[in-house]
Amino acid sequence: MKMLTCSRLSSYFSSSVRWLGKGIAVLWVIGAVSVQAQQLDQPKSQSESAKAPVKWVQAKDLPAEATEAGNTKEKPGVVSTVLKWWNSTDRPGDLQIHGFVSQAYITTSDNDVFGNSDKGGSFGLTEAGLNASLRPLPRLQLSAQVLSRRAGEGNSGMPRLDYAIFDYRLYSQEVNQFGIRVGRLKNPFGFYNETRDVAFTRPSIMLPQSIYFDRTRNLGLSSDSVQLYGDTAVSDWGTLSTQFGVTLPIVDNRDTESSLLGVERPGELNRQVSYIGRGIFETNDKRLRLGISGIWLNTSYDPTKLRSPLELGPGALEFTPVIFSAQYNSERWTLTSEYAIRPFQYNNNFHSPRFNGLHFVGESYYFQGEYRFTPKWEGFLRYDALFIDRSDRDGSDWVAQSPVSRSGLGHTRFAKDIAVGIRWNVTPAFMLRAEYHHVNGTGWLSGLDNPIDLKTNRPIDTHQYWDLFAIQASYRF
Amino acid sequence: MCFALTVCLWSAAAEVRANEHYEIVTNPGVNEKTLSVNSLRSIFSMRLKTWSDGTKIRVFVLSDEDQLHQIVSKEKLNVFPYQLRSTWDRLVFSGTGQAPIKVNSSEEMLAKIATTPGAIGYLWRANINENVNVLEIK
Repeated sequence: MKMLTCSRLSSYFSSSVRWLGKGIAVLWVIGAVSVQAQQLDQPKSQSESAKAPVKWVQAKDLPAEATEAGNTKEKPGVVSTVLKWWNSTDRPGDLQIHGFVSQAYITTSDNDVFGNSDKGGSFGLTEAGLNASLRPLPRLQLSAQVLSRRAGEGNSGMPRLDYAIFDYRLYSQEVNQFGIRVGRLKNPFGFYNETRDVAFTRPSIMLPQSIYFDRTRNLGLSSDSVQLYGDTAVSDWGTLSTQFGVTLPIVDNRDTESSLLGVERPGELNRQVSYIGRGIFETNDKRLRLGISGIWLNTSYDPTKLRSPLELGPGALEFTPVIFSAQYNSERWTLTSEYAIRPFQYNNNFHSPRFNGLHFVGESYYFQGEYRFTPKWEGFLRYDALFIDRSDRDGSDWVAQSPVSRSGLGHTRFAKDIAVGIRWNVTPAFMLRAEYHHVNGTGWLSGLDNPIDLKTNRPIDTHQYWDLFAIQASYRF
Repeated sequence: MCFALTVCLWSAAAEVRANEHYEIVTNPGVNEKTLSVNSLRSIFSMRLKTWSDGTKIRVFVLSDEDQLHQIVSKEKLNVFPYQLRSTWDRLVFSGTGQAPIKVNSSEEMLAKIATTPGAIGYLWRANINENVNVLEIK
């Protein structure tokens, strides 16, 4: 037994060392290329800053001369010319176009995350997005984003409409703004949800999974809604930004179904009217940010006539999480913590002893420190904990309810993740990073990537203690 | 007469900016002559989108690494450049706002501010001329 463990461990180590080596080699090559690119840029910016203070532009023929000078002296490449055109003001309606593309490589000791990561690693996580925004009137903004995400079994990479928003500013007076948004909106909860697919806006490759579940991301990400929003000055301390929306959640996807109903069922989840709200107070210097978000999500199951052992009755469920968020920003440090309490309530119409009247309250929290060594180099350290049922933190009560079929599966009811990582902002538009996680528990693993055996109802191959190593490259404009 | 008035205005303006080497500047068409620091922060945070007469505000910035951008962020707005960047990223990628328009040099900043209706930005004093208005920040 001991021999076995040892040999397993050593083979794991040798394989991770091998992959680490490859990863570093890839990072180095990419890094070298981008440093080259950066060096090409440097003389340009130096000459600009050198000449800037001395030059006095003649008043009468200023616009023509200045633009001409800009064009001839800089000799921008094709890409930067296109980008410049994209973000110039000369087009009607202040059209802006932005986007990003990220590729990660993930390897795990056990369990699958975004692809077959435990058999030598996988390039299974690819994220790309393209958005456009327009201001046809001073108070009106139209914006839309298309998103492609390839991540394990849950996301194929098929582009989908992420948001499409009609935003009208109803009232605007210095530091107080109120408006209305209609369309497909990003769900405002916590600090990171709305931009969770944009690597540059995340503290790490994997967001804290206890709160930003990737397995129910399609449900959490955006929904068709009407939202009122406002920014109000709070005395001289800061600004309170609030959003409140009535939504139809997006539940018609495999991941959500498998998360809420155990496995994919023959029928479908219905979209029902739900509510979402968030308030974030931010001090004027943006050093302190405090938030509270709440969701009241309703959905119901629509069975088919199929007589399948997997079929359920027409039950309904309510999910009502509340999230508290806090962040402190200094020049070098960013300290962030979020806490979520997540009550689930299933009604009695599921015709299944497993779901009828099921009620449990999940709990999640994380503490995270980010440190900026230089503007180019950042590191983070995080402890992230998830409990599916806060009154049964180690899953032992859950196992005791059905000892035969659930023995040894207590680890599916929690996950505690210690993560450490480093980020290199090679240029403002290009970033590389790497991170390592040690996880105790499998509570947030995707059921689609780590399927259960339908005969025994047990996961086929998951392990309680596991490690994850990931690297990522990301570009944005 | 006209000359005397210009000189008089000029010296008044010079007094306002006696202590600093840079100024917040706007397109001459912008009616505002003074602005509270909170309104200024609201503009550079891309929350306040219209001037008091209802016209569009268009914000111009230099790159995050630019010395003037860093000084304006820290001294005038009292925030770190990385905080502005993350505020803008949140707006752009959630579809709830737009990013400021990036220019590559002080000359380009001056040209854009002078020619774009509703424009606001910042310039070293040495680069400022009468084609832009200097905004007094209270």
